[in-house]
Amino acid sequence: MSVALCLIAIVAANEARDPLHARIDQHIAAGFADYAKNAAPIASDAEFLRRVYLDLSGTIPTVSEFQEFMADRSPNKREKVIDRLMNSFGYVRRMVWFFDVTLMERRPDQKVPRAAWESYLQTAIAENRPYDVLVREILSSDGSEPNTRAAAKFFLERDMEPHLVTRDLTRIFLGRNLQCAQCHDHPSVDDYSQAEYYGIQAFVSRSFLFPNARAANAVIAEKADGIVNFVSVFDKAKKQYTITPKMPGGKAFAEPNLEKGKEYKPSPASAAAPASTPPKTKPAPAAAATAPIPVYSRRALLAKAMTEPENTAFARTAVNRIWAMMLGRGLIHSPEWDHEANPPSHPELLELLTSEFVRHNHDIKWLVREIALTQTYQRSSEIPESLANRESIPADRYLVAELKPLSAEHLAYAISQAGGQTDTDRAALGPKGTEAQLDARVAPRIAPFRSTFAAPAGEPEDGFTASLHQTLFLKYGAAVRGMLATRSVQLGRLTDPTAVAEQLFISVLSRYPTADEVKDVTEALGTASDRNATLAELTWALVASAEFRFNH
Amino acid sequence: MPRCDYACASTDHAVNRRAFLGAAGAVAALGPLGFAAPGAAKQLAKQQKRVLVIFLSGGVSQLETWDPKPNTDTGGPFKAIATSVPGTHICELLPQTAKHMHQMAIVRSLNSVSNDHGIGAKIMLTGRKPEAALEYPHIGAVTAKLLGDTSGSALPGHIQILPKGGSGFGKGDAAFLGPKFGAVTLGEGKPPSDLLRPANLTVGSDAAREAFRRKLNERFAKSRKSASTDAYTESFAQAEEVVKQAEVFDVDKEDPKVADRYGRHDFGRHLLLARRLLESGVSSVKVSHSNYDTHHENFDFHIEQLAEFDQPFAALLDDLSDRGMLDSTLIVVMSEMGRTPKINDRYGRDHWSKAWSVALAGCGIKGGAVVGKTNANGTAVVDREVYSSHLFHTYLAAVGLDATKNFYPNERPVPIGDPEAEKISEILA
Repeated sequence: MSVALCLIAIVAANEARDPLHARIDQHIAAGFADYAKNAAPIASDAEFLRRVYLDLSGTIPTVSEFQEFMADRSPNKREKVIDRLMNSFGYVRRMVWFFDVTLMERRPDQKVPRAAWESYLQTAIAENRPYDVLVREILSSDGSEPNTRAAAKFFLERDMEPHLVTRDLTRIFLGRNLQCAQCHDHPSVDDYSQAEYYGIQAFVSRSFLFPNARAANAVIAEKADGIVNFVSVFDKAKKQYTITPKMPGGKAFAEPNLEKGKEYKPSPASAAAPASTPPKTKPAPAAAATAPIPVYSRRALLAKAMTEPENTAFARTAVNRIWAMMLGRGLIHSPEWDHEANPPSHPELLELLTSEFVRHNHDIKWLVREIALTQTYQRSSEIPESLANRESIPADRYLVAELKPLSAEHLAYAISQAGGQTDTDRAALGPKGTEAQLDARVAPRIAPFRSTFAAPAGEPEDGFTASLHQTLFLKYGAAVRGMLATRSVQLGRLTDPTAVAEQLFISVLSRYPTADEVKDVTEALGTASDRNATLAELTWALVASAEFRFNH
Repeated sequence: MPRCDYACASTDHAVNRRAFLGAAGAVAALGPLGFAAPGAAKQLAKQQKRVLVIFLSGGVSQLETWDPKPNTDTGGPFKAIATSVPGTHICELLPQTAKHMHQMAIVRSLNSVSNDHGIGAKIMLTGRKPEAALEYPHIGAVTAKLLGDTSGSALPGHIQILPKGGSGFGKGDAAFLGPKFGAVTLGEGKPPSDLLRPANLTVGSDAAREAFRRKLNERFAKSRKSASTDAYTESFAQAEEVVKQAEVFDVDKEDPKVADRYGRHDFGRHLLLARRLLESGVSSVKVSHSNYDTHHENFDFHIEQLAEFDQPFAALLDDLSDRGMLDSTLIVVMSEMGRTPKINDRYGRDHWSKAWSVALAGCGIKGGAVVGKTNANGTAVVDREVYSSHLFHTYLAAVGLDATKNFYPNERPVPIGDPEAEKISEILA
């Protein structure tokens, strides 16, 4: 205990002068007795490179990117590759996946097409729009303007259904799963109260989709009246409470007194489309023109109340989700259960990250970069011999890097690369082809992986599962088989088995083969009756291996 | 066979809307079953119980099935016939089924609340009214989870057979129980996607590449073994076992005489396939029969549809009985709703949830029991109104499970069955 206190004191003393990534490492080191002795060493260059590509670019390194990095002798080469990836299209690709899955949870695209939504996120990520600005847009847009309709996807695809929206606002942005506080105070989580749930719901309960939730061009409209009452199902006296909009831990908004008959803006049509807006290509003209607009909008209060610094849960949840994206585990685990009985593994670290994130203007890119630079992130996932096995290691101490299962998107992209398909794509695009054009070619191949490997619509991606369906897809599926064809042709041009083994392992597993593996490949090719077929099956074996399935 | 195709476009999109595999079409292009030795017939575990849901998609008419009202303003043209249970009559469109009534029970007083196909199906399959903020698992996923662990079968625990579409995976069916219990979907009764070894992959190459994959995994596990890597590597072993049992999915392996008894049409084949799956240790099977959404020409369509249903359903009960499996297999014949007693001006019946019927047979069911009653022309329940939640408790009780217990998703209790309902004891053995 005294050791820990002493370490915390050292941490505090260093905080002022060290960059954030160094301070993160100090906090993590302080979180375990003899951390330095017990933690896994820093990952090898190859292990680091594959990880950082998957995490910051959504891809695995190409053979030439791998060789270039391995040949680089400069001491800051890891920082260099982090910066190169983060300033390339790869970072945009990866973060679009992250925000799409986090915000939309695989809901079908019924009201905002996928292309429009991805394009909206791409622009936001490419210009590194501050997280609070992004979320304010998402919670403010009513979907009636073509320029901002994509931002309304969060509400539109949830049909503006008050319970669903309340659940997802609190889960996704506040890290608080208040679902069972709908009917009563949470039975096992003391700080999740029914009042908290309905305080959030009061922001959105008057809003609805206009003309109706089934219309693909629906917009968000709002009534001027509607009171949120609730009764606990546990309360025998059935006492009824009434609540106005309120963030957890914040103050309830006072309601204005409006003159009867003047609750709505006089001409909804002109209010929805101000004179300055040219009345062209609106996707939802009929819907927007007649939707009611109240003088006092409860929903309009939400975006600010949610994102202002006083609502600390907002930045804290964002930081924790980004941390979980990079480290494979949130400081609060799981990220939607932030409450007193489930404290963060490193409370001071989470406080530090949260306050620095706010101080840096909710800068996601800065935060990701600082985390990528830490030793904590760069630790090996190989369990040191001194630690018996993974199950005996406290997972929340970050002694050994987590194995992160590749997401559906990651897996599809990585198989496209490993199988050589993206090489073919690049050749077809020519020297002027961009990464965005390459993505457009890969996109149709991602779709079957999404339907096979992603969590069901409306559920968070949570842990690793391997269903029969997924395994058969990898084992005999035509989609995967088709993606591996190019690699065997490329390898077939090499005559030396050692060269084959090296190319194969670098292009699929992003590392050099071991001597045993060179021997295996040599033997397989030596006895092969159909060399190309053998090369295809060797490629498959690497792709189907656990080493490929996880970001290790 | 004509299909009714109405404006509400109900048929299967309600149950069949999930994404299917892009690769589904590939199965047809693959070679014949030349690779797998037939799986050794497994001794069915004596304790193992199973559930078969037959889902009459579109909304079957209770008046043309389990609750006929002949000679009334709503009754339509058909007679009621005697069954193997004295005093119990059902519609004459089910003559074979009538002979099995002593093995069956009928609930004639169901109010399922919603007249919408999708919502109705959800209500019936989950035993709950939909809640925006929480998806509940379907009966098949619930029973697969609670029953499946004792079967020792490598086959997936939850399979559904749909009349249309490709094979796929209904991962949403299992909700918080997780994808392991989501239905493997066999569209048109086709085997699971990618079950068959591609023609251009030889047996020898397949074995060689598997051996190399295992070797790589062993090396990786030396320093990085975890519960996840174990689950991943085990899933390939399971897939290999299922591939070996591929013939289970092939009804053409049945004696042609048996196939004749089930009827040479899609639903007959699908029910026969269901029997093969149940025999092989799959604990939850659902077969959908389409389409009963008869907004016009209700009577003509019910003649055709129920003829397709009656024969294979009776054959199935015979087969399960002969094999000693009926005592351990619960069969539920349900739909997403019933149909209006009022006959509309197109000789149709419309959507109706207020007073209709569900039939049950087999495991845990009191043969010959009839519970609940509608009024003389079927427009209201007059005795023992039940909801889908009561039925849900009853299904679980019939196979020896307690729906008043909890699941614990995210470590918080969620009652298995709706806590406001209880089982219908009168039809339980």
